[in-house]
Amino acid sequence: MNDYDDVICQVRESFSGLRMEIPVEKVFARSRACRRRRLSGLTAAACTTVGAAAAITLTSGGPAGPAISGSLAPPSPGPVKLAAFSVTSGPGGSTKLILRKGAQHQLDPAALRQALARHGIPALVTVGTFCRPANGVSVSLGQVLHPKTLADGSGAVVMNGRAMPSGTRLSIGLFPNAVKMLLIKDGAPLSCGSTSRHHPAVVHLIRLGTPTRRA
Amino acid sequence: MGHEQAEFADFYRANRDSCLKAVTAVIGDGLLAEELVAEAFARAWMSWGKVGRHAAPRAWVVRTALNLGVSWWRRRYREVPLADHDAAASACMSDGVDPVLIAALQRLPTRQLEVLALRIFLDLDTETTAKVVGIAPGTVTAHLSRGLAALRRDVPLANADTNLGEVIR
Repeated sequence: MNDYDDVICQVRESFSGLRMEIPVEKVFARSRACRRRRLSGLTAAACTTVGAAAAITLTSGGPAGPAISGSLAPPSPGPVKLAAFSVTSGPGGSTKLILRKGAQHQLDPAALRQALARHGIPALVTVGTFCRPANGVSVSLGQVLHPKTLADGSGAVVMNGRAMPSGTRLSIGLFPNAVKMLLIKDGAPLSCGSTSRHHPAVVHLIRLGTPTRRA
Repeated sequence: MGHEQAEFADFYRANRDSCLKAVTAVIGDGLLAEELVAEAFARAWMSWGKVGRHAAPRAWVVRTALNLGVSWWRRRYREVPLADHDAAASACMSDGVDPVLIAALQRLPTRQLEVLALRIFLDLDTETTAKVVGIAPGTVTAHLSRGLAALRRDVPLANADTNLGEVIR
């Protein structure tokens, strides 16, 4: 078996640069948040990754009818608050999306897509991958998005759905420490992948939490 | 900071990197692995009275992170049925790690991959690895041998002459 020492050495060497940069204080904080959610009656769903839809905690009477995926539903923007994200109405007809740091793995992409559709923002939401036009031609984001990272590490995006060119939708790629956004034309062939090498200027990249490595 | 909290903090600082490497090796995505490992450590702290007495707490963390990862991938494939988005997945976001090696690891059967990760990055012995993965000790040895043989076949080796014979006994 010692014949494989060189292989083992190479594997170890290749991974030697990987470092876990999350401080232990954040682990404690995550535990506390999880305990609070359990105690507050949200049950274990908020602390588990199974059944993300169960983590949805509607806090007010938002529209009950599900929006059709990717379509422009009639705007009826009731505030919807979810364990992993919230979509609320902002000033001037804008929409504010907050993606909570540390809860991305609980996020239900279908629920986010529907919540945005209710605010008149058609979207393609993907997890662990990001979709771009296959031909590389993107639609300028212009004044559609204003993203920023909040003090607690969550990502916040103010969206102006009215500024979206007709026949376009928002491609949102959710990654553990980052969110990518891009406007794409309806019906355009897409190229989807999880690599992070291609960052055209029109992609809005929001880093969630303390920047660790490249996103 | 209380005694238990300090004990857990020491445990976290001493083992977070090795756990991250093991989970990254299995799932092939460093960023996702970091998130899963952080969540697993958070759960370890929530149950530290039990996990702290576990025979191999590091292995508990890795096992928990991998279980969380399974849930992540299940949901991803159920809810985001994109046809062609996996082509580049093997090359994703594992800083500094040879993408050829990552790709070769991802081609291994899951059990082989888990055994390799636990043996190489956590230095678990055969018995403990068998308990963590839930297979017989003899199967651990077979998985390890086959996995390493596959890696040797698929990954061009640099000159590595360090004696690590104690890893495989």
